[in-house]
Amino acid sequence: MSFDLNFIGILIGAIMASSVPLILAASGELITERSGVLNLGVEGMMIIGAISGFALMVITDNLFLAVIGSMLSGLIISIIFGVLTQSLLTNHVATGLALTIFGIGMSAMIGKNFVGIPGKEFPLLFINLKENVPFLGPILFGHSIILYFAFLLPFLTNYFLKKTKIGLIIRAVGDSPTSASNQGINVILVRYSCILYGGAMCGLAGAYLSLIYTPQWIENMTGGRGWIALALVVFATWSPIKVLIGALIFGGITILQLHMQAVGLRIPVQLLSALPYIMTIIVLVVISRDSRKIKLNTPTSLGQIFYKEK
Amino acid sequence: MNTKLTISNISKIYPGCIANDNVSLEFGSGKIYALLGENGAGKSTLVKILSGVVKPDKGKVFLNNENVKLNSPLDAKKNNIGMVFQHFNLFETLSVFENLSIDSNEKNEELRFLVNEILKKYNFKIDLDIPVLNLSAGQKQKVEIVRCLIRNPKVLIMDEPTSVLTEQETEDLFISLKKFSEEGILIIYITHKLKEVLSLCDEVAVMRKGKVVSVSSTKEEKIESLANKMVGENLGTIKKKINNFKNSEEILKISNLNFRSEDPYETNLVNLNFSLKKGECLGIAGISGNGQSELFQILSGEIITDYASIKFRNKEISKLNPRERREYLMAFSPEDRISQAAVPELKIYENVALNNFKSSNFFEKGLVNEKKIKEHSKKILSNFSVNTDNVEMKSQFLSGGNLQKLIIGRELITSPELLVCFNPTWGLDVGAINYIHETLININEQGKSSILISTDNDELLRLSDRICVIYKGKLSKIMDVNEVTPEKLGILMGGGTID
Repeated sequence: MSFDLNFIGILIGAIMASSVPLILAASGELITERSGVLNLGVEGMMIIGAISGFALMVITDNLFLAVIGSMLSGLIISIIFGVLTQSLLTNHVATGLALTIFGIGMSAMIGKNFVGIPGKEFPLLFINLKENVPFLGPILFGHSIILYFAFLLPFLTNYFLKKTKIGLIIRAVGDSPTSASNQGINVILVRYSCILYGGAMCGLAGAYLSLIYTPQWIENMTGGRGWIALALVVFATWSPIKVLIGALIFGGITILQLHMQAVGLRIPVQLLSALPYIMTIIVLVVISRDSRKIKLNTPTSLGQIFYKEK
Repeated sequence: MNTKLTISNISKIYPGCIANDNVSLEFGSGKIYALLGENGAGKSTLVKILSGVVKPDKGKVFLNNENVKLNSPLDAKKNNIGMVFQHFNLFETLSVFENLSIDSNEKNEELRFLVNEILKKYNFKIDLDIPVLNLSAGQKQKVEIVRCLIRNPKVLIMDEPTSVLTEQETEDLFISLKKFSEEGILIIYITHKLKEVLSLCDEVAVMRKGKVVSVSSTKEEKIESLANKMVGENLGTIKKKINNFKNSEEILKISNLNFRSEDPYETNLVNLNFSLKKGECLGIAGISGNGQSELFQILSGEIITDYASIKFRNKEISKLNPRERREYLMAFSPEDRISQAAVPELKIYENVALNNFKSSNFFEKGLVNEKKIKEHSKKILSNFSVNTDNVEMKSQFLSGGNLQKLIIGRELITSPELLVCFNPTWGLDVGAINYIHETLININEQGKSSILISTDNDELLRLSDRICVIYKGKLSKIMDVNEVTPEKLGILMGGGTID
């Protein structure tokens, strides 16, 4: 096993790529949850994004349209969740689960005709620099624009929540929808917007999988990443930066344990496969120990149905 | 700048309850107005209407003779009506400054300057950058007040502001409120605490059962006169029952009952002692919120306190749960019919089965014997003249009076030795009230005992053999009903003493 710097650089680049869908989906879900809405439909919205992105790419042969379309389809399917939970006051947990089941089934149905079709090459940026700069090259360059966006997103989300008025309003709604409503804030509108944003981000996460990461359509190709993203949000105690750290650890250990399996270490394969899950939880629990901060970051009204007094 | 606020013919009806019945009031700046009434009298609904949270079914609000539409909290803000809610409308996890900035249009630096000016002017000491959950109740209230002051309010409404404050915080609040009033802010102070009305306010409007029953200057009022207006003093003609309990044996003895609650909205009970004879009715009077619901829950076993001895038929029952107490032949009729006594979504016969688990043969080998329960329920419906014989009907479709008859009937059909009831006729019409009263008199005459916790003085004087008053979790001395007058009750209910 060679330990030259370039190899490590390539490894880190691969880790970054594998964590992109988690970062995107978790950042979206984080905003949704910060407004007090628990949407367990992440997996469903992701896979709908994945198939619609891929299908649009095949039909239109236009990657830009495919990416935008995947976000729109994630958004549209999240409208179902919004109408049910916000307007018809259904239970968040049950509705979210239904959304995931619906999404997986729907994508399999649409995807039937797209199995086995090869994907299109997605343009990668700064490809020259990737080859020519040792170590840092494969880390910083030669990625898709979506990866750069994903790595910027947690910081933007953090700034948005902490420094902007709209971010403040979202946090206020998540803290106490009744108080917010009494202050004249349109709680339903805020929650709808956050749900739709979350849906769009999950759609984009799906598109990253089917257009860039493994450019093809395979049934059930999200493979539980939506659930990981949901868990990341909770274990990162609703902090965008910690979501980024958690996603990188998860992606990192997933890739590393594959290498360890390949090398043939005498550790049971099952244990290695479980390692990313265990390590991510341990690390996030350790870095999120401050109970005061947990209390301040946790949306108090998470999962509560809100209805306005009349 | 003079402000005049006029409320004209406001009505608001909730299903089964008239919260505001044609309420008209007039307020002018420079004075502090008290809006006095018991829980459920309609005060909170009225202030929710004024702050735009609730829309009235009928009626108008005028500010300086201009009709203002209050369709949302934003409208109230636009019209400079500020509101401090009883349960704070703050965001616990946000900082004080974030709480203040959420609905302001100023830039952060300007707002911080403005807030600091207000804090300095009224001598409030609050750290703007710590989360609200670290503040005391008094400080949280100050944040709410500052939030109103930022918008230069013409009207400031305070809803039960002292319920969570300490004595010192209350004094500080009164000083601030008087200052605001001097500066021309019209203050409406909602409370059920009589002493506060007299010490703070200039004018007082009393509400009862959704109606304004009196408007007067506080100079003309005393604690007992206000107490009587609050709970009603129109004594009807009383058919007095035959007292035959004097020489009977003691059935219940409560000694050294103490209860300390962690919840700031609950009242602590301090050293209660009383006993009850067979066939006797003990009335417990008081303005609501003085410990009645805590006492009821301790008697029924919903709250188990370590600091009480409750002897019933010579057995110590203070550690038993409600079901076990029922097996010892106690029965309970809680204050809230809908949420505590019955499950409104269940059918009548299902509700009947709920509290008769062991004493009956409704359940065999874990299965429900519907036939038996239905027969039993039909008996209750006819014995207690409930206005239906359809046991399959959902309980929520019964009127308040019929539901109460069903509940009392369900409790009494097992022939309990003691019935504890809490506001059994609250919100009922006269016919239903009389029926319930007759039923309660009947059980006493059959040698069964009852404890009547009520905020209705007419009812207490009509039904009780002995009466005491609960005030701030303490019981007054227990008096024979013949020596009790509404005036005496009024004094005791306001925290005064009689010889």
